[in-house]
Amino acid sequence: MSNSLVSHGGNPFSVSSALVRRTMLRVRRMPAAFIPSIVMPVFQLIAFSGAFGAAVRLAGVKNAMDWYVPLNGVQGASFGAMGVSFGLINDMQTGFFDRLLMAPTKRWALIVGPMAGSIARAALPLALVILIGFAGGMNVPGGPLAIVLVVVAASGVALSASAFALGLTYRMRNMGAATLTQFAIFFTIFLSTSQVPLSNMAGWLHAVARVNPMTNVLRLARQGLLGDVTWNGTWGGLVALAGMLFLSTWFALSGLRSLEK
Amino acid sequence: MTAVAHVAPPRSLSTAVHHTLRLMQRSVLGRLRQPAALAPSFIFPLFFAALGSASFQRMSKLPDFPATSFLNYTAAGAIVQGVLFAATSSAGDLATDIEQGFFERLLVSPVTRTAIVIGRLGSAMVVAIAQVFVFLGLFMAFGARIEGGVAGFIGLTVAGALLALAMSGLMSGIAIRSGSPEVVQGSFPMVFALLFLSSSFFPRQYMTGWYKTVASWNPMSHIVEGMQGFMNQPLDVDQFLRAWLIPFGIAAVSIGFGLRALSNRLAAQ
Repeated sequence: MSNSLVSHGGNPFSVSSALVRRTMLRVRRMPAAFIPSIVMPVFQLIAFSGAFGAAVRLAGVKNAMDWYVPLNGVQGASFGAMGVSFGLINDMQTGFFDRLLMAPTKRWALIVGPMAGSIARAALPLALVILIGFAGGMNVPGGPLAIVLVVVAASGVALSASAFALGLTYRMRNMGAATLTQFAIFFTIFLSTSQVPLSNMAGWLHAVARVNPMTNVLRLARQGLLGDVTWNGTWGGLVALAGMLFLSTWFALSGLRSLEK
Repeated sequence: MTAVAHVAPPRSLSTAVHHTLRLMQRSVLGRLRQPAALAPSFIFPLFFAALGSASFQRMSKLPDFPATSFLNYTAAGAIVQGVLFAATSSAGDLATDIEQGFFERLLVSPVTRTAIVIGRLGSAMVVAIAQVFVFLGLFMAFGARIEGGVAGFIGLTVAGALLALAMSGLMSGIAIRSGSPEVVQGSFPMVFALLFLSSSFFPRQYMTGWYKTVASWNPMSHIVEGMQGFMNQPLDVDQFLRAWLIPFGIAAVSIGFGLRALSNRLAAQ
């Protein structure tokens, strides 16, 4: 690993791609740590569409899978962030991260690598969720673009969540960072239109979900499964993803700087 | 470790009860001293209940909905969820005791062997009773009503304690057999599946297909529906049968499993 970094002379893109390969190597070497991030989204998709199907059908959704595939795709993608956090803590404990800091490369490469790795980690759970959605009779009135938008939303959330996980881990430098990341992602996703549309919500949840950027992200991901893909249903989600990505990347970069001080 | 076999545990019933109570006290104190470990079994059920009642309140207006509000419906599910989470976490503590050697120190002391398991189960029941009190207090503060009155409250409390006994018996058995907190935590998906593939979060009559069939076979559905009966209907024998008798039956089997695991571990030493 270190040899490959040195041989590329610190080119940040090479360093980033080497870190992506390292992420995938960790998945291969520790499958037990990766399996829950595959099983949980699939199980939740089955459980939510089985248990809460009547509630979303009452809201006018034809098939519960149309509502819950984007949710569980996005959630499954976000699980990669915990892997990023665990990997970083492990690297800090073993001293590998100190060696990375001494490498003659741009600092952003150390952040972009694990973030891109989280997309690679998200690919399998996302693909499984979509396949099970099709098996469960998911409708795709928006055509192939509908699936593209699910992938875009899930990838954006994976990138933001992993950047947030990095920022938190740089600051806390212990396993608590992974737990806190998990809590933050969990609450952000569930305090949105995760279960039912805004129009079906009551009281405090409606107020919170309305301003939660995840609501726009889920609208972006769901639109092609519930109807046609329109610019009106797209731009809000793209803005939310861009905002989340900008803030979380800034959080990660400032965390890395504080670590070096 | 061979010396362990030579220490004859006392036989008197009062001593056994005394040992059980002391170990139960230790276990409860251990739980209270780790608020971070105990908190999820309070926070997550309450969060899901708040989320469910804000998301699915409209469902409760349907004519065949089994409660007057979704908050009233979800109270029993929240109790069950909290009890299951706490039972898993408590068994994790037992496995930690084994891993860190405290269990072996207990074995070289003249403590009654069954007290080691029963004390742990007793503490799970105490935590479950506290959970029922806290959850119902909060639910009532937000407008829930126990239709079964005081008897319904007692029904829910006893059901929560019996379910804690049943689940912690099973989880303690796993903890003693494995001696590994990771294995206990690894069995958490089983608890998760038991909960979600039941009517803990949503009424069974609105489910369809194979999911409904699985939920109908899942004993957790019948336990939680008995408890929902205490919350939402006038008292009925059926509620007691489902909310008390099913967990009692499971407890009888799971305690046997836990004691057998203990006996096997002792024999192996």
